Amino acid sequence: MAAINHPLGHGRRSLPIPLPGGSPNWWVLGAMAIVGFSAMLPVLQNSWTTTRGFETQDLEARQAQLNGDIRQLEADVANLTSLTRIERRALAIGLGPGGTPVYVTVDEAGPAPAKIPSELLPELERASDEPESMWRSLFSRVPLLD
Amino acid sequence: MALQRAQGTRRVWLPAIVMGLFALAIFARLIQLQVIEHERYAQAADAELSASNTIYARRGTILDRNGNVLSASVDTWDIYVSARAWRDDAEAQTASEALALALGVDAAALRARVAEAETIDVLIARDVEFEVGNELSAASLPGISMNANTARVNPEGDTGAAVLGFIGLDNTGLAGVEAAWNEVLQGKPGTAIYERDTTGERIPFGDHVAIAPEPGSDLVLTIDRHLQKLCEDYLRAAVEKHEAKKGGTILMMHPGTGEILCLATEPALKFSELGDLDLTDPEDLALLKNRAVSDTYEPGSVMKVVTAAAAIDRGVVSPGTTYVDNGVVNVAGIEIRNWDFQYYGTQTMTGVLQHSINTGAVYMAKLLGAEAFHSYLDAFGFGRPTGVDLMGEGGGIVRRPDDKDWSPVDLATQSFGQSISVTPLQLTSAVAAVINGGNLVRPHIVKATVEPDGDRRDVQPRVVGRAISEETSDTMRQMMNDVVDPDGRTYPGNPSLYTAGGKSGTANIPIYGSYNDQQIASFIGFAPLDDPEILVLIMLDDNRDGATGTEAAAPIFAQLADETLGYLGIAPDGDGYVAAGAR
Repeated sequence: MAAINHPLGHGRRSLPIPLPGGSPNWWVLGAMAIVGFSAMLPVLQNSWTTTRGFETQDLEARQAQLNGDIRQLEADVANLTSLTRIERRALAIGLGPGGTPVYVTVDEAGPAPAKIPSELLPELERASDEPESMWRSLFSRVPLLD
Repeated sequence: MALQRAQGTRRVWLPAIVMGLFALAIFARLIQLQVIEHERYAQAADAELSASNTIYARRGTILDRNGNVLSASVDTWDIYVSARAWRDDAEAQTASEALALALGVDAAALRARVAEAETIDVLIARDVEFEVGNELSAASLPGISMNANTARVNPEGDTGAAVLGFIGLDNTGLAGVEAAWNEVLQGKPGTAIYERDTTGERIPFGDHVAIAPEPGSDLVLTIDRHLQKLCEDYLRAAVEKHEAKKGGTILMMHPGTGEILCLATEPALKFSELGDLDLTDPEDLALLKNRAVSDTYEPGSVMKVVTAAAAIDRGVVSPGTTYVDNGVVNVAGIEIRNWDFQYYGTQTMTGVLQHSINTGAVYMAKLLGAEAFHSYLDAFGFGRPTGVDLMGEGGGIVRRPDDKDWSPVDLATQSFGQSISVTPLQLTSAVAAVINGGNLVRPHIVKATVEPDGDRRDVQPRVVGRAISEETSDTMRQMMNDVVDPDGRTYPGNPSLYTAGGKSGTANIPIYGSYNDQQIASFIGFAPLDDPEILVLIMLDDNRDGATGTEAAAPIFAQLADETLGYLGIAPDGDGYVAAGAR
């Protein structure tokens, strides 16, 4: 009963595919490419989305991990700078509670001129690098202008 | 060729009818499932395959006034086990042993707990340390999932615990600043949705954050951690020394701004004992409130400061006004005596404060009259909450002339601090107005809020009214200075390095409309004299050694003032400091 699977029709038809030796049907090839690409497009999109999604989740997880680490470090710093910790450390290195402080007032006059940090002083006038002009040097020799 | 039509016999149409009915039934059932009850089944399927978790937002940090951390959140993990996934004995064995090792629990007990659970996801451990959770996550144990959470840490230990308060399992503040400022600290929680397969395992990459959590703002308190610890240490020692059965309070405030620098109470909540609290026990339950803010007491002679300020401001007396003290005054047929049953003869109003003479206070109140006296009580904020930014504030109780059982004796006794109940905070706020130029300032404990983006909003001092004139305030400061620095004798409440002022109080505790031998010893003082930086109230409740406010509380003020002002970097202005060359 193999004949039952034979296609009905009027003999063998030529398939519209490029054959060796014959001229290719570019329209058909183009259509096949478009169909093939259309079939592959969802797969590619899915793959791309999955990859991106994975990367995003991975980055979010890393971000959460780093944020957690930061907060843990902040808590560690807070613990290390707590009063109890400071007191314990002070005792460990031999420091003890201070005695009654003695406050003094200075009745001497301050240094003159006052020692003011240089950044607070007005800028010093810088000597000009330019040579003195001739007419000024001439006038300087005139006694009236001394 | 014409086709022959088949005859419609019973053998044909009977099965056709049966099959048609069957198809109709299936179709009807489809309609029922897919259309009529679509929502219900969709939700059921969703519940079966996906679940959601609350993502708690990072709770804001609580800092002291200098930026030191008092309470902060760290990331933790809540660990769940899928009961379905652990139906496989081999997987349950492997996972439970690894989990038990990490958590320090028994593996068999863990498996039994999961097996007996009625839910699919069984919460095994809450607030597991971040590092431990990360290691478990990396191990990818079957059936184990983890949700991010946060937990509170307090680097300063129990210091300031009663002020800070604590949070519940749902990260909501339940007491103290945590509760009062919960809305600011908590932020907004988010939601995470994840999907499960038929065995209950999470589907990889099936998680997504539906609503992202918004972190809470940080709070900068007016509290100074060093001063808080100092006050707590002093209070604990004083309670023990003077056998104060009901504890006590030390409250330190900047009188000009209302900033609370320290607020120590005893007994107080301790973070280290939080797990042992039995909330069915009234004593344990009372630890959840801040006694300095919620509890009222009769202030006793400290109230004479307010009476004197009112009388001087109204102009009925001056510091030098004299009267004769016979040791007793008769008011509406009731004899009112001095606290020490002594008489002091001719006294000025300054002398009334120096010797804490009850009859002198009654004298001033009588000159003022009930109406004027009560208008000043209102101006000083008595009888209503101060509006401090803490929860559960009491308003105090003031008997008024229009109360039906009012008597002139009430006016007389109110003048020296009986028949009136105030909170420690209320009294401190009133005395701050006496010494700061006359302004009633709202006390506050939050100095600033800092939003997650770094935007800082400072809380500005708020003047809520004027109680007395600036001139009266200057006069009162001097009168209170005369109390702690009297001519010719030493006073235990006088700081050695700074000028100061103050007033003691020793009040009987009212019991069912009368008084017994229980007392409250207190002292309120400020320093330095001309520009006060601190105002301190020390109160010892039911001290069994019988020491008065002058004996028990005043020395604490003197020591605290010297230490605190030195710590704050304020130059000494008293007699105790040594000038160069004079030593």
